[in-house]
Amino acid sequence: MCKRTSNVLRAAAIAGIAALLILPGPVAGQRRVPPSALVNPEAEEAVATARALSLRSADETFSYFEDEVDAALARAVEMVWDPERPREPSPRTPWGHPDLRGYWISATYTPLERPAELAGKPLYAIQEAIEAFQAAVLVDAAVDPATVHYDWTEFGMDNWQSPIRPNRRTALIVDPPDGQIPALTSMGRTRWEAQARRETMTSRHPTERCIVGSEGPPRLPFIQQIGESRIVQTPDHVVLITQSNSDVRIIPLGDRPQPPADVRAWLGVSRGHWEGDTLVIETTNFHEDRTWVRPRGLGGDLQLLERLTRVADDLVLYEATLTDPTTWEAPWTMEIPWPKMEPPGLFEWACHEHNYGIINVLKGAQIRAEEYEAQSQD
Amino acid sequence: MTTRYSIALTTVALVAIVFSFMDTQPAAAQTVSGEARASVPRTAGGQPDLSGIWQSFTTANWDILAHSAQPGPHSQLLGAWGAARAGRGIVEGNELPYQPWAVAKQQENYANRMVANITNDPSRFDSGDPELQCFRAGVPRANYMPFPLQIFQTPEEIIIVYEYKGAYRTIQMDSESEPPTDTWMGWSNGHWAGDTLVVDVTGFNGYTWFDRAGNFHSDALHVVERWTPLSPYHIRYEATIEDPKVFTRPWNMSFTLYKHIDPDAELIEFNCIPFVEELMYAPLGIMGK
Repeated sequence: MCKRTSNVLRAAAIAGIAALLILPGPVAGQRRVPPSALVNPEAEEAVATARALSLRSADETFSYFEDEVDAALARAVEMVWDPERPREPSPRTPWGHPDLRGYWISATYTPLERPAELAGKPLYAIQEAIEAFQAAVLVDAAVDPATVHYDWTEFGMDNWQSPIRPNRRTALIVDPPDGQIPALTSMGRTRWEAQARRETMTSRHPTERCIVGSEGPPRLPFIQQIGESRIVQTPDHVVLITQSNSDVRIIPLGDRPQPPADVRAWLGVSRGHWEGDTLVIETTNFHEDRTWVRPRGLGGDLQLLERLTRVADDLVLYEATLTDPTTWEAPWTMEIPWPKMEPPGLFEWACHEHNYGIINVLKGAQIRAEEYEAQSQD
Repeated sequence: MTTRYSIALTTVALVAIVFSFMDTQPAAAQTVSGEARASVPRTAGGQPDLSGIWQSFTTANWDILAHSAQPGPHSQLLGAWGAARAGRGIVEGNELPYQPWAVAKQQENYANRMVANITNDPSRFDSGDPELQCFRAGVPRANYMPFPLQIFQTPEEIIIVYEYKGAYRTIQMDSESEPPTDTWMGWSNGHWAGDTLVVDVTGFNGYTWFDRAGNFHSDALHVVERWTPLSPYHIRYEATIEDPKVFTRPWNMSFTLYKHIDPDAELIEFNCIPFVEELMYAPLGIMGK
């Protein structure tokens, strides 16, 4: 890519990140709800201070990575995920099941919901998909130093450093066809608002409390490269292990019944079976307090249907349908390609044991909440 | 080495193994017949198939040494709920060869076993029993906690998932890999010695304990585990514990793992983090209203 073009794109991207930081929180219209700790009313000043204190500027970070970024982009151009391309038959395990074994990454630059400017356009042309991918890589590689507190040139922190690839889809949501999460029910909205306060321990995201990782279920891609997972197979089980939080999902194969609804689990209880080349996982019995931020408003009654298919030697296609009439007015489905990673992929993630962060996160959120209350009374 | 000499040595070794079982666990060796051992399921590669859900029924998580039945802490609140069963212990000779300073440290650990000292630095790990705060149990403790474990066996690796905390470890077969960093559950390399799965575990961070009684080790811990199926439903577990920073010599432990045979048996999530947030964070005043 021409260096001048990339610089222009990068400048636009950095401006975009700064705008995100100072946008009001999702429920700012509600007077009694304090803004999220990420949304600081003094953000412009805070961002400028953080940039001044940063070890490296965005330009320095980008130039550090520039050659590697160019190489990553050159590779990615050859690997566009095209959902209309015919699928290869799955390889098989020695005992005859479709072979999903290995290390896979769910990180992506494709947004969950279709951006407004792409309304009515579910698929990019191949060249458009490549350009959208290039733009996202440049944002990632130039990291605005205001968003981080450590030296971002440490290897392995950016999504483009993993084998992720351009996607012809303009959103991960494939159903409903508009690419948007269906409207929340009133109960879903109530839960979302309760989750938005975030100055009590129980209103924080379960990932911040280390109860579950950022990779679900369902596997909604998280912002940074912690989407690694590993699939282990035996004739009667599939085990899905995620790097984030070292979460382990044990999926028995066959017609084993679900436990009674009184048994609830943060990762849900999963049952699997094969349909042709596809592993179908049905998961219910989610914990009632499983107040996810993404997808917002969700409670414990989610019925999750996941489909994993080895569509190419180096790609597993992950499809998930989320059904919960207490949260959404309709079910919805997303589709995410998981490229293959080279082992060794995963290491122990002892999140709770080393959760130094939650102490200051909560202290900060409580100070912000008090300030907000005081301002509201002025 | 001639074939005959080698067979003779093997015979001696087998006899020695049988006697070692009789020495440490007479009941197991006497009740498990050759027929039971012959009926152990096998993988396509011919090794014993250890797949399934297993659990020890010792009281070693309370104290790996012999102990009487006793009231638990805060018995004025918990009564018989918090009390502990008596147990013979799982340590060969019922004695831990602590260095002199470590005897005092174990006593200090016991006195502070219910202290949760939450700080923003590694000094938080020098407080009470890590289990109290829902930390990973480490090896060997995870194998004798009062929770089941599930083994997933493939020729290249064996995964053990523990119901306690959903922690897992990967045993890499026929590997001499070095731990890339220190961890709670350690770094496991395994191989088959006849019908025994031998696992060499190193790379510990030194923060885990052996039990609630304050028995401890350092980051120099080196565990060699031997998992030997005695029947389709029993595994003899033996471990040699070596830690030159804490003990004067290696020592051994052993117990039996029993298979869960209910067709519906499965690990059910025990995610204890929400159970310890009040304990850990309320004293810091950050739980919120």
